[in-house]
Formats: sequence, C-alpha cells, structure tokens
Amino acid sequence: MKKIILVGKPNSGKSLLFNQLTGLRQHVANFPGVTVELKSGTFGDFEVVDFPGTYSLQAMSSDEIIAINQLHKALDHEDTALILCNLDATKLERSLVFALQAQALAKEHGKSVVFTLNIMDQVKRFGYDYDVEALSKVLGSPVYAISAKTLLGISEFTAALKKHAAAPEKCQVQETLLTQLSPLEAAKQIADEHGIKQELVLGNQTKLDNILLNSFFGGIIFVATMFFLFQSIFTWATPLMDLTEAGVFGVGEWVSGALPEGVVADFVNDAIFGGLGAFLVFIPQIMVLTLIIGLLEDSGYLARAALICHKPLSLFGLSGRSFIPYLSAHACAIPAIMAARTIESPRKRLVTMLTIPLMSCSARIPVYALLVAVLIPDERYLGGWVSLQGAIFFMLYFGGLVTALLVGRLLDIWIEKGEQRNDLPFILELPSYRLPHWRPLFYKTLNSGIAFVRRAGPVIFTVSLVIWVLGYFPEQGNLQSSWLASIGKLVEPVFAPLGIDWRYAVAILLSFLAREVFVGVLGTMFAIENAEENMSGLVEQMQADGFTFATGVALLAFYVIALQCVATVATLKGELGKNRYSWGIFVAYGLLAYLVSFLLYTMLS
Amino acid sequence: MTIWDLPKKTSGKVARFNLNMPENLKTRLNEMGFTVGQLVTCMKRTPFNGPLVIQVQDCVYSVDKQIASQIEIQS
Repeated sequence: MKKIILVGKPNSGKSLLFNQLTGLRQHVANFPGVTVELKSGTFGDFEVVDFPGTYSLQAMSSDEIIAINQLHKALDHEDTALILCNLDATKLERSLVFALQAQALAKEHGKSVVFTLNIMDQVKRFGYDYDVEALSKVLGSPVYAISAKTLLGISEFTAALKKHAAAPEKCQVQETLLTQLSPLEAAKQIADEHGIKQELVLGNQTKLDNILLNSFFGGIIFVATMFFLFQSIFTWATPLMDLTEAGVFGVGEWVSGALPEGVVADFVNDAIFGGLGAFLVFIPQIMVLTLIIGLLEDSGYLARAALICHKPLSLFGLSGRSFIPYLSAHACAIPAIMAARTIESPRKRLVTMLTIPLMSCSARIPVYALLVAVLIPDERYLGGWVSLQGAIFFMLYFGGLVTALLVGRLLDIWIEKGEQRNDLPFILELPSYRLPHWRPLFYKTLNSGIAFVRRAGPVIFTVSLVIWVLGYFPEQGNLQSSWLASIGKLVEPVFAPLGIDWRYAVAILLSFLAREVFVGVLGTMFAIENAEENMSGLVEQMQADGFTFATGVALLAFYVIALQCVATVATLKGELGKNRYSWGIFVAYGLLAYLVSFLLYTMLS
Repeated sequence: MTIWDLPKKTSGKVARFNLNMPENLKTRLNEMGFTVGQLVTCMKRTPFNGPLVIQVQDCVYSVDKQIASQIEIQS
C-alpha cells in the first residue's frame, strides 16, 4: 500500500487531522525503550503514517533521534507517495521553520509535498484570512486551508489528497525565489508577508495565562485540578475496576463450574482467570487517567501545570511534568508509569518512572492498616482530632515520597556519570488554549489500554501462573504445606534478621503478585476466614502470637520501599525496553528495603 | 544582561548566545525563534526563581534559568 507521511511541529492540530483522515482504521507502533509512537491508519487506498511532532530535523534527545531516523527511512522508501506537511495557521512562522526543512528533504529524495494550513477556524474567528493561492506559489507546493476540528475545507482537501497521492509526480516541489534562503530566513519572509499578526493570536492566551499562572488563583486552580485528577483515579475508577474483577471472576466461576471438581477446575478458575484478572483489573485506571491527562494536554493546561511545579521538582532531577505521574502513583504505579510518557526529557522520564514504585499505592493500604492496627494503640489527641494511627499512616506515605526524591537525586547523578548527557533543556512551548476534540482523546484512551495488555499482560499472567502452581501443589490447595511454604521455610534465615518467621516470609513472597494479598495470606496462616473483611480477628491473633513492635516497624519499612509488584516490573520493562533497569530497580529496592528494615529492627529490639 | 535578568513585562533584543552553548542547542533555539536581533518579552516570572514565561514572535515558551541565563540581550 502506498504511504502518505504526515509531519508537523508539535501542537499544530496534527493528530486531530490524522484521526479525521483515518478514523477507526488505525494502529500504533511503539519502539522499545522510548515513547516514540508511529501511528498509521488507512485513508482510501493509502496508508497515512503520523510522525511525532518535532521542531527540527536535528535531533537532541533519544526520542527525537528515533523519530527522525524513521522519517529518513520513510523518505527513502519507494512506497512513500507523498509528504503531508501540517502547518498551524495561527503560528505560521514557527510551523514553516520545520515544514520548509521537511520540504527540502523531501525534494532531495524526489518526493512530493502537500501542505495543510490547519486551525483555520481560529484564524477566521480572529477576522483574518489567508491568500492560499499566493502561499502555494511562494512555497512551491499545493496548500489547502482546513480546520480538522470544524471540518472546514476537509472534503475538498481529502478529494485533492487522493488525487495527489495517486499521481505524486504532478506535485513535485517547485523552485521558488525562496529556495536560496535558509529555512529560518524563508519562514520569516513568508510569515511577514502572509501570516496572521501575532497580537491577534496571543491576546486571548495572555489573558487566560494571567489568571491560570497567577501566583494566587493559579495555585488554587492547580490544586483543584490535581484534586479532581486524583479523585478520578482513586474513587471513580474503582467501580469500573470492581466490575472488571467481578466480570472475570464470574466468567471463571461459570467456566470452572462446568468442569468436574479438582485440579483442572481449580487451575482454570484460580490460575487462568485469576491471572487474567491480575492484569485486566488495571485497565480502567489506566484509561481513566489517560483520558484526563489527554484532556489537560489537548486543552493546553498540562504545559502550564508543568511550569508551576518545575522548580521544586527540578531540585530532585525531575521535570515539572513528573508531578502528575507522582500524584497518580498514590493510587497505582501502573497508570502512573504510563502517564510519565508525557515527560518530554527522556532522562527525567527515566528518573520519574524508576522512582514511581516508591509512592505508597493503594495496594499498600490493607498492609499498612493491618500492621498499624497490630502495633499502634488507637489513641486520640487534641480532642479526637489527631489519631496516633493516622499520624503513623501519614509518616508511611511521607517516607515513600522522601525516599523517592532522594533516590531520584541519586539516579540523576548516577545517570549523568554513566551515560552521555543527551537531553532536552527545559524550554517548553505554552500552546494556545483550545477546546479538546473527542476523537484523538478517544483513540489515545483506547490505545493506552491496548498497549498495557500487550506490554505487561504476558509477564503478569506468567508470574501469576507460576505462583499459583507453587502455592497449590503438592497437596492440592493447602497453602500451609505447599511448595511455597517450603520455600518460605527455606528463606526463613534470610528474613530472620528482620525478626520475621516463615509465615510472614510466605506472605511477602506472595505479595510480589499484589501487595494486598498479604492480609489474606496471613489470614490463611492464622486460620482466620475472610481476613480482608474481618481484620480485627487477625490483629488479635498476631498480637497474641508475640509479634513484636520491632518486627512490625521492620515489616512496614519493607513494604514502603520494596518493589513487590510484578505488574509494575512488567510495565517498567515494557516502557523502558531495557531489562537491566526494570529488574535492576526491582533488586535495588529489595536490597534497600531489606537494609532499612534490618537497621530499624536492630535499633528497636 | 541575559534573558534571565529581564523584569516582568519588559523586552529586549537577543544579542548573542553563551560561547559554551552546544551547537545543536543553539540551532534549536534559533528554530524556536530565538534569533539574533529578535525581540523577546518576559510575560511572567514565577516564584523561587522558577521558569520564566517568554514571548518570542508568535510563540510563548517557559524557559528555565539554565537556558535563559545563556542568552544575552540588549534592552
């Protein structure tokens, strides 16, 4: 199939144009280790490939190197029929700097070019219009004035695009008077002559920025937005997650119910459907978070939010855009790691992704709740306003955050030494405010779910399967005499310095599947039915069993730091591509957790 | 004087880039609109020496100290 290559500067309405051209018939190609995505979809008899938005053909970051190499490859390919250069009509000069470079490169490769002058709806609202014919003449390639949002001029454009792509030799790049000039000079000259005046465009943006970036109101709006985002993943995604879990559980029960009781039925129900549920349950959170971040990004607010939190986070080797992933990580590390994709600097993205697992995610809550209830008396101070247990809870969350910032700082120094400092400086365009369109948001949200299943699903499923086998055999479902229990006893000496016996060791090992199973497993060990719902019985048992304060603190510290979550490791592996980082950080946090627990235990006992 | 020293709501013309600035960064800044002789306006400064909001031609950027202090201007 002949290809149409779509290029353009960031924030130029390019992805909306792509979505309008291709609709549902699209798929995303990811490159391991970077967030570069090549989206492609069919448009009539052609394939449209959407390249990541870039300001320049000279790459600075590792992401840009890959994107630009792919562009060169596409230009060399004989299947490439046409280069479609998208221009932002409200920012003609900036769009042309890149577009003219791309046009020159296409000409070198003997490829034809067509320009779209996008976002014309805004331009018309400002009371301006372009002389498209004159612009075509001066650019030496056909130009079409469109709005991908209001569909202004789209039908004429799509008809023309099909014609051009079928006979590209007819729209070869023409020599113009500007060919002698550098892209920078040519862009300036064309924009001065044809472009809309910047005062018209920037007036509204400046007014809104005066409010949204105001030290007082801006702060309030920022906190309110982040509160909304946090709510959405913490509480609003929960019904969807419960529904997913119940759905998988229901189907599992139904299928295994049709089988005779025994190993096969248990295997189908607990291992197969349990393993499926283990990763499907994350999808609602991932999609809800992607949708909200997409809304913030497409409206233009995300860049402002990044500006607001850039300074404090930069002290720890992070970017202003690390804030949202960090916040989301308090609900769950998986969507947070995927949200870190919006961090433009590959190096800061790496530091952010690697420190996200240290945030106290919601799976740690049952573990904290159990251990705090066992260790800390339910005392209240200041007329009942301050509870001792609540204060300890706060310290646990705070401990995770502080550890993350310190590790971030260390990683920043270490990466600086270890790898060449190949990174983008902090200079970020504050795009014009726009009302987001549903199409790109819809596909972005859908693709985030698909990407997670593809990248992390197989690993999570396999590990669930292995752990099920270890916990089930040899005595069909008796955890206390299973292979896993034997392993627990085997590793007991390792955990002995933390004051932990084999029962807790088994609970820790099983926590690698998901931390919240800690409570259920201990319930099984202490023969308490439904320990998750009825924690007080387990609390009494553990207190009676001689569970010391020092052991409890050691265990808490271990759960704050250790990366006990196969889904997180799998997601990191999928996003970073390099195994040494994901498994390396898994080992490193394990050792750090062990060390801190050991020190606390020794000090307290 | 550099862009970093621009008070809020004032402008200056880009005079030159720091000599130690890597060539690819200079090119990128050029492409983003920071060319010698170009008028740049500081729209906003943020607390605690946070990034500036700088308008250049048709674009508004947030720029941190590391970059802003490497671009010299004449006011």
